[in-house]
Amino acid sequence: MKHELMEILCCPMCKGDLVLTVDEEDDKEIIKGSLFCGKCNEHYPIEDGIPNMLPPDLRE
Amino acid sequence: MTSITYRDKTIQLASHVYEPAEDSFLLVDALLENIRNGDRVLEVGCGSGIVSVFASDIASMVVATDLNPYAVRCAAGNGVTVVRTDLYAGLKGTFDLIVFNPPYLPTSKNERLGGWDDMMLDGGPDGRRTIARFLKGIRELLSQGGRVLLLVSSLTGVSEVRRSMQDAGLAVEPMLESRHFFEQLIVLKGSK
Repeated sequence: MKHELMEILCCPMCKGDLVLTVDEEDDKEIIKGSLFCGKCNEHYPIEDGIPNMLPPDLRE
Repeated sequence: MTSITYRDKTIQLASHVYEPAEDSFLLVDALLENIRNGDRVLEVGCGSGIVSVFASDIASMVVATDLNPYAVRCAAGNGVTVVRTDLYAGLKGTFDLIVFNPPYLPTSKNERLGGWDDMMLDGGPDGRRTIARFLKGIRELLSQGGRVLLLVSSLTGVSEVRRSMQDAGLAVEPMLESRHFFEQLIVLKGSK
């Protein structure tokens, strides 16, 4: 995902803002990382450049 | 890898991802009629990403969502910016154009097969279960004057969906229709 996507991503449960941690990125986008909601104390992973915004109980 | 070509675009397909059919093409046609230069576009339940690929030429920003992990990978492979989420749960902000080709087939409990192949079709007992969830928070996601393009089938109950869109605070008009062997497809446009 591109950094600009942060502007429209939110926690799927509380709709709050997220904190981005980048583990791997190339010159175009973030490949691996996570998005953290402090209010819900929940991490949403970014894998293969795709943010997974499913609540933990729905994730595979 | 299998691909499909519609108008001037070739879309790569994948297993467990909805294969674009008449409904997808009708929604592409409606999008191209409705989209304006610079629109911010959201596609919900994008599958292969075919509608978003067409939107990308004209929109200033396109983001697509899907619940299905195979679909988000397939759409990303087609160059679409995609988020794995339930409808638009992980998104905030407003959009000028929101498009959705929902699972709309009425499906009873014992017809349900489970799995991703089922989820892309299963609209619940009346075919409108996912549509109802989609419409619930849609007005907040639309900019002033923003539009929703929703594909429905005669099997889903067009007048019932129309009423639900009106109840969600949208002005509704039918846009495009196409008739098929066992159903009639229609794109309903809802404006804020």
